[in-house]
Amino acid sequence: MLDSIVTAAEGAEVGAVLLVSDGADRSKDATLERIAATGMRVHTVGVGTDDGFSDDAIVDVRADATGFVHQETRVRVELRSSKPRTTLTVFLRRDGEILEQVSVALDDTGKGYAELSFTPNRPGRAAYEVYLPSRGDDDVPENNVAAFLVNVRRDKLRVLHVAGRPSWDERFLRAFLKKDPSIDLVSFFILRTSTDLTMAAPGEMALIPFPTDELFSEHLESFDLVIFQNFNFGPYDMAPYLPRIRDYVRRGGAFAMVGGELSFAGGGYAETPLAEVLPVVMPPSSSSPARQFVFDRFRPVLDAAFARHPLVELRPDALGNQQAWARLSPVEGANVVDGVRPTGDVLLRHPTYPVAGGTLPLLVVAQVDRGRVLALTTDSSWRWGLTTGGATGDASAYGTFWDHALRWLAMDPLLDPTRLRVDAERLAPGESFDVQGVARDRHYIPLTEALAWTVERADTHAAVSAGTVRADARGGSRGVRRRPWRRGVPHHAQGPGGIALTEELFVVGAGASELANPWPNAALLRAVAERTGGKHFASLGDVPRLTDIDATRERVVGRKTMAPLATPWAFAILVALLAADWALRRRWGLR
Amino acid sequence: MQSPSTQKRAFVGQLAAVGAAVLGVLAILPSTVRSLGPGTDVEVRVVRYADGRGAAYESAPKRMAWEVRKRTSVETKLTADQSRFDDPRIFESPFLYWSGREGFPAMSEAETVGLRRFVEFGGFVLVDDARPEKGEFLASVRRELARALPESPLHVLPPSHTVYRSFYLIDRPVGRVEGPAELLGLEAGERTAVVVSAHDIGGAVARDNLGAWEAEVSPGGSEQRERAERLVVNLVMYALCLDYKDDQVHAPFIMRRRGRLP
Repeated sequence: MLDSIVTAAEGAEVGAVLLVSDGADRSKDATLERIAATGMRVHTVGVGTDDGFSDDAIVDVRADATGFVHQETRVRVELRSSKPRTTLTVFLRRDGEILEQVSVALDDTGKGYAELSFTPNRPGRAAYEVYLPSRGDDDVPENNVAAFLVNVRRDKLRVLHVAGRPSWDERFLRAFLKKDPSIDLVSFFILRTSTDLTMAAPGEMALIPFPTDELFSEHLESFDLVIFQNFNFGPYDMAPYLPRIRDYVRRGGAFAMVGGELSFAGGGYAETPLAEVLPVVMPPSSSSPARQFVFDRFRPVLDAAFARHPLVELRPDALGNQQAWARLSPVEGANVVDGVRPTGDVLLRHPTYPVAGGTLPLLVVAQVDRGRVLALTTDSSWRWGLTTGGATGDASAYGTFWDHALRWLAMDPLLDPTRLRVDAERLAPGESFDVQGVARDRHYIPLTEALAWTVERADTHAAVSAGTVRADARGGSRGVRRRPWRRGVPHHAQGPGGIALTEELFVVGAGASELANPWPNAALLRAVAERTGGKHFASLGDVPRLTDIDATRERVVGRKTMAPLATPWAFAILVALLAADWALRRRWGLR
Repeated sequence: MQSPSTQKRAFVGQLAAVGAAVLGVLAILPSTVRSLGPGTDVEVRVVRYADGRGAAYESAPKRMAWEVRKRTSVETKLTADQSRFDDPRIFESPFLYWSGREGFPAMSEAETVGLRRFVEFGGFVLVDDARPEKGEFLASVRRELARALPESPLHVLPPSHTVYRSFYLIDRPVGRVEGPAELLGLEAGERTAVVVSAHDIGGAVARDNLGAWEAEVSPGGSEQRERAERLVVNLVMYALCLDYKDDQVHAPFIMRRRGRLP
């Protein structure tokens, strides 16, 4: 309200304003002093009354726009009720699930504040709601709910790296993980086994027990990614913990198994709960070595269906990528798998070793419920670094591969095959917006056919608008302007029709909704009138004729300085007078 | 009653049957696979340099690999190939053993580049002076390291360096000779990529074909030899695990064992 008064005065000669309002005001910058400085006289007329008015309202919600996985995010909610000195219960929810509830005692003016918190566990944009259950006599139930968005990022990726024995494969992976400051690494390597002859007392060695219970009971959920690298669980009594790791993956964790003679079937995993989430089918653990392993050197080949998968993208162009893989030093040996689970995607294969469905899978990934898994069946990927570097001068492939692998396992949204971006997170009712996106199928092949999109309400899934769009040859970004609409709840934008490929969230609702503060504010109206020299009228019926309100005010608009003798005419007249004076003097003989 | 020959044939037949059953059982049980291929084993590869010189003690690299395999979970290759720094095969093994007794002429440009790349791409070099009393070999190595890696000077590794606790808790390095109280090192990023010893570690572990020690260890005898073998294990373990033993989870255990914590 006050903002509108100041705006009206800018650049205009306004002598007086007649303001008819209930006094509700959510101005950010305007103050009574600024209004008085405009020189306008503001006459105010009050409308509305709070007699018999009942309302509980969420006035304002303050939350950080950015949150971090596994870190608490706080929300501050300003409340107001027409019933002072009562208690309101505020709920925080996401996707209909209540995350927290807090009871707030309101003060004598009916105001109060609630502090709530939540801990995101996945990256990406998330919509949350705070709401007040209606007490039955609420005259404005629309202000009982407020939505807000939080962009959740990973501050640090917490990785547990377990290796069954030190090896070059373990060495280079550890070096890669340690080098990245965004990774919080916890490592445990089995440096000796019960059959090793250390020739020393325990006190002479720097070895510590392997804390299985602490890692896999207490702290498992704190890790974003667990890596088993050539690690066999049997000697460490870890069988009871394998179901926990399986469930951890299903709840959203990431798990990677890296090959070696102690991995996959060689590590006894074929008949364990972990086999339920691994994307490969393993031969029985009792199989012969010839059944479980290949021992030759070979260069992996890209699987034709997933050659564009970001995990195996060493070069951005398809041909360059094929050539880059062909230049890598060969790996040596692999764990044999009998096949791939229906959810598994094979990215790399042995060039010739036959198995059902093709040749031996070397790199397989899968989404398992809310988590992700990766199976790499060789223990010499380190050769893509040092050995390839020695042969070609370029040792970067190893780091590129594992960087992509970690980001995919951590569900980096930028690696999703399809994604959308709305040009604003919060929109006002009636405001138009643009949507851009990348559209690729699950094989990361650009979708160039027409795609269907929908915008729907998050609470009812009712479609608000729909249409089609065509992506370019790269499946890349394409701006599309959408029609405006008038709802005040989160909305989704969906990809192609039939099966939604992706969605993006945004909130529709004015940032300073009048509904959040519906009480009449006669005191403010009186203050504005007094401060500006105007008059206040309690109701429309009290307002006299405009001619009785209007007033004339003199105002100095400026000062103009004139120099009449500085003009050419003045100069000419002066010269003429002087000439006439001289002529007359000569005529009259005067000096 | 059966004749002795018949009894003997029956006994042999029973023995054969038992043997066949044992062989059958052994056939069912999977053999132990130590690695997915010799290339995945940890090899102590020898640097060939100058006029074809290799390790000062030919058996030392194999003995080092054997000690590591015996004492730890690491699978090692018990044969030691040799490569020059300008040979691409040097990149097949991230652990190089460079030893000698005498000074040598400057390496070629290709060897210098190879050494530099080996270190930059993640390799580890153990330099072992087999005649530290003269120091000529070490002087030549210093020269070559300065040429190949001028931005990373050699420096003393402090007693707190991970190499002294990567497997065993070691107070100081020793080899065939007691030598200086410290090792020298050269850094590449966050790791020590080259470790230089003036203790003739190879001389302490080398054995001849009959299994006899090739050199006497002085002044500490067999106890010093054991400490030299532990140093070998620590060096290989450091090359494989880097600063793993510096991780916070290990700190209280190590401090307690060193007597610095109750």
